[in-house]
Amino acid sequence: MVTSVVIVGVGGQGVMTLARWLGRAAMAAGYDVKIAEVHGLSQRGGSVEVHVRLGDRVYGPVVSEGDADYVVAMEALEALRAFRYIGGNTVLVVNKRVIQIPGRYLDPEQVYKALQTYKNLRLVPAFDIAMKIGDPIYENSVLLGYLAKLLGVDERVDWLDERNRRAFDEGRRLASGDLQPSASSMAS
Amino acid sequence: MRHLLLGNEAIAYGALSAGVAVAAGYPGTPSSEIIETLLEYRDRFVQWASNEKTAVEIAYGAALAGARALAAMKHVGLNVAADPLHSAAYTGVVGGFLIVTADDPNMWSSQNEQDTRWYGLQSYIPVLEPSDPQEAFKMAKEGLMLSEALEHPVILRSVTRVSHVRAPVVVEPPAPPKFGKFARNVERYVLVPQNARRRKAEVLRRWDSFADLSSRFLSIEGDGEVVVVASGVGYLYAVEALERLRVKAAVVKVGMPVPLPKKLADVGAGEVVVVEEGDPVVEMQLRAMGVKTRGKIDGFFPKIGELTLRSVVEGISKALGLGVRLPDPPTPPLQPPPRPPYLCPGCPHMGTFYAFKIASAGQKVIWSGDIGCYTLGINTGQQDLATHMGSSLGLGMGIAVADREKLVVATVGDSTFYHAALPQLIDLKTKKVPLVLVVMDNEYTAMTGGQPSPSRSVPAERLAEAVGVKHYVIDPADLKRSVEIAKAAVADAKSGEPVVVVSRRPCTLEALRHARRSGFKPPKFYVVADKCRSCGICYNVLKCYAIAKLPDGKAWIDPSLCSGCSMCAQVCPYDAIKPTEPEKVGKWLELWSQA
Ligand code: SF4
Ligand code: SF4
Repeated sequence: MVTSVVIVGVGGQGVMTLARWLGRAAMAAGYDVKIAEVHGLSQRGGSVEVHVRLGDRVYGPVVSEGDADYVVAMEALEALRAFRYIGGNTVLVVNKRVIQIPGRYLDPEQVYKALQTYKNLRLVPAFDIAMKIGDPIYENSVLLGYLAKLLGVDERVDWLDERNRRAFDEGRRLASGDLQPSASSMAS
Repeated sequence: MRHLLLGNEAIAYGALSAGVAVAAGYPGTPSSEIIETLLEYRDRFVQWASNEKTAVEIAYGAALAGARALAAMKHVGLNVAADPLHSAAYTGVVGGFLIVTADDPNMWSSQNEQDTRWYGLQSYIPVLEPSDPQEAFKMAKEGLMLSEALEHPVILRSVTRVSHVRAPVVVEPPAPPKFGKFARNVERYVLVPQNARRRKAEVLRRWDSFADLSSRFLSIEGDGEVVVVASGVGYLYAVEALERLRVKAAVVKVGMPVPLPKKLADVGAGEVVVVEEGDPVVEMQLRAMGVKTRGKIDGFFPKIGELTLRSVVEGISKALGLGVRLPDPPTPPLQPPPRPPYLCPGCPHMGTFYAFKIASAGQKVIWSGDIGCYTLGINTGQQDLATHMGSSLGLGMGIAVADREKLVVATVGDSTFYHAALPQLIDLKTKKVPLVLVVMDNEYTAMTGGQPSPSRSVPAERLAEAVGVKHYVIDPADLKRSVEIAKAAVADAKSGEPVVVVSRRPCTLEALRHARRSGFKPPKFYVVADKCRSCGICYNVLKCYAIAKLPDGKAWIDPSLCSGCSMCAQVCPYDAIKPTEPEKVGKWLELWSQA
């Protein structure tokens, strides 16, 4: 059995780091892992896409369209763009945040509403939590915690520093349903 | 111990465990992390070279002297190094000489697709092709040892899906570096025609023996009526696709696709399905051996782009007549607009493009571009071509002499300038082609992750001075002065004189890293909504990525993106853009310039 995760976001958000950390957590949990940096330049601003596959033995590194078990978006417009990876039971985890595209303006509420037409959506306020902790850079740790919990690989994550750990634990709590954000309860 | 390694890191560790002593490369996605990883090992000579030819020459020379040496680059880079590459096969080497190239099918960050394996066939150099990071480690090690044993160069061909895949890899510790001693051998090393002719016969003799050797890199898994021959990442997709299709097959895994082992001539009496990434290099060799194949040649698999699980499942299905077609992927409930890559907020190139746009307003300009971050000037309409490293000045000179009505502004980054433009600069002077060459010097090879460029030790203006071309230096964060100088340069070119403008300020990303390390929090800028008159200059002309256009046309700055460069505040005609912490602006620009 191989679990396929597609992680997307915008350059500069730390998408690669999130994928790498997830891979480390999965490896610590005893899985074979492949992480493919599918798309994205080192600059800020462009769409970034990374695939993580974990299981007993992983062959291909890249997830096919319609084949993801989880799609994780660090930004909501990128979640829409990653829709092609969604299959029957894919869980779509989206950071509640829109990064605008230069020269265009999309109403964030409209974007969330469109996403909410998908049954398996989890809208996670990772950006808001990160800002509360003090810096937007912590949003990937929130999502890591959330995702690691869903995938059952949240036990041996010992490389995070104190603030990233706080963000991680917040994400983990959200995923276990200890803390029900209004947005994700609306979605279900 | 298993480490979660990038294919490129695994290649570096493989070379280290083979005792590599000399390594050189030129950065290029998806190959850069090979040299970056090796750079950590100070007991060896590891360097970024100014271009791939130099890199290959350094490694080649070291291997002639008996050292174990590696050169790394991306596929297009091998073209630059093709000259010494071919001669290396003729002379052979004494130590180990591994040429690692990372191909980029689908051109994620390249100007063309190219299958390095052709170079193996053309230059008579065997090619190894790993399918994943673990194999990349193993083949880098074996390739280097093999090269030394054969006294012949060996190519390691990676692709994006090996180089940029991270997976658990078991590595062996580095072996001590093996340097060497050069021994004269004029008949072998001096390729004057009479020697070269003798060496060609020797190369062909060796080439025949390599075919047997490549059997070592062949394995057969499973069995069944169906035979699939797969090379590199093609193997991973083939195994997974066969599983999906529930087809029992013998999978022949080819680790050395060039030259193919002779014994492959007797695989399968019927037709063989060939799965490989890039061009049909294995397939053509199989056909030449008389094997009937179904692969890319007859269109069972796409000839463009990367393999995907989808294309391999459908390709095998077509080849075997199974009639499987995968369902179309779902469409999103709302189509998101494309998010093209932009120059980073506060990128110094943003200021340079702005200055030249203003300075050349009203003129017919050809923006002769090049390969690098600044190719993103396409978003401001300031890149009319960008075809290869050095196209800016090279093609720019051709355009300027052919079309005398237009003004050519050639834009080149610092790394590309040292890589390709130096001989062109000499032609610019000797041929006196009137154009503006803008060296966009951000002091790093930023597109590939921030490798240092020679810019600090060999400033571009010194070279312009040495050659005797008129030159100016600007700081693109100072827009007013930059526009003035850009105007002067445009006037020089219009009057018939070639001119160089060096626009210098370090890469924003490096500056931000620098600030983080020194505990400095850069200021941010914001738009005073009441003062903004929706003129759009900041988001339409300067085009800073951090500035969004609100539905009423007013500007809004995303504080999580702004890097505090102040350029927007300088261009706003209504003084509507302000820093949050005005006292910090000067300090930040100062700190930035030292990044
Ligand atoms: S200061 Fe202005 S131009 Fe510079 S990064 Fe911030 S928003 Fe962009
Ligand atoms: S340049 Fe100034 S006035 Fe014009 S849109 Fe930008 S902030 Fe508003």
